[in-house]
Amino acid sequence: MLFFSYFKELVGKEVTVELKNDLAIRGILHSVDQYLNIKLENTRVVDQDKYPHMLSVRNCFIRGSVVRYVQLPPDGVDIDILHDATRREARGG
Amino acid sequence: MGLGLRHFTDRVQEGECAGQPLLDSENGEELLHVQQRVVIVLGNLPPESPGTLFISSKQVVWLSDVDVEKGYAVDFLSISLHAVSRDPEAYPSPCIYTQIETQGGEDEELEDSDSEASEHFDLSKITEMRLVPSDPSQLDTLFNVFCECAELNPEPHDELDDEHEWIFGPDQVLGDVMDAETEEGPDWPIYENPANTIGYANGEHDLAHSVLELQIDDQRFEDAEETDQGAHGAHR
Repeated sequence: MLFFSYFKELVGKEVTVELKNDLAIRGILHSVDQYLNIKLENTRVVDQDKYPHMLSVRNCFIRGSVVRYVQLPPDGVDIDILHDATRREARGG
Repeated sequence: MGLGLRHFTDRVQEGECAGQPLLDSENGEELLHVQQRVVIVLGNLPPESPGTLFISSKQVVWLSDVDVEKGYAVDFLSISLHAVSRDPEAYPSPCIYTQIETQGGEDEELEDSDSEASEHFDLSKITEMRLVPSDPSQLDTLFNVFCECAELNPEPHDELDDEHEWIFGPDQVLGDVMDAETEEGPDWPIYENPANTIGYANGEHDLAHSVLELQIDDQRFEDAEETDQGAHGAHR
């Protein structure tokens, strides 16, 4: 649940979601659910040369199970909160 | 059931639902949305003649309006991504764009060499599907239905939990070993046998200390060996 709570804090910020098939999509995080399904708005494909046919779409739903990485905006990372949250998770889990 | 697209021909034969796909209603599958006049485009193949889109709580089924033998289905579990595509450069008609997870892993694109044999293409290798409704104002509705249904279909095996078992199991064991090794000094045996603290504090230092040390060594040795075996067991 840690990542779920954490990603919810990032709603409205720009993130880049890299899928397990190497496709990377940048967009504004619209929402995330408990399965880490991710909805992006104003999306664009990062490597357009490699994926010429792909989407400049307005919104996009990505299944949580196909996500490899989520790149976060630097100002979206509050290290103190993360420290606390991970400690709590380690204790409570 | 496998990943990817598959042929679908099971239509309800009679009654008010005639022509609809036969769903697994015994296992709770429900029809949630019907969209008429939708063209389906598989991979780089040419668009098919229009059909009707049936979205159930488990899968997306497209049935041809022209050919009752023609239909395709894909489980929501296999739909990695869906999006509304309105950019004419991405595709000439506004559509729902989907990426489909296939069994093989490596996606072999259906290039031109295959298109002449399009009747015999390997459906299970198709990694992209576009759904083009005749009415583009329906795209947002379709997108939202897809979102809701994706959430109804989480991964059947919770991979995260499995990983936790695997990673944390041995880690916790290792953690115990480390605790035993790093917690030196009087703290540790005091927990074990509080009575000794009195002797320790009262100045019978040497005697108490050597007894304590003996205990430390014994228990540390036993503990480490036990947990070592435990860790090996967990790996097997």
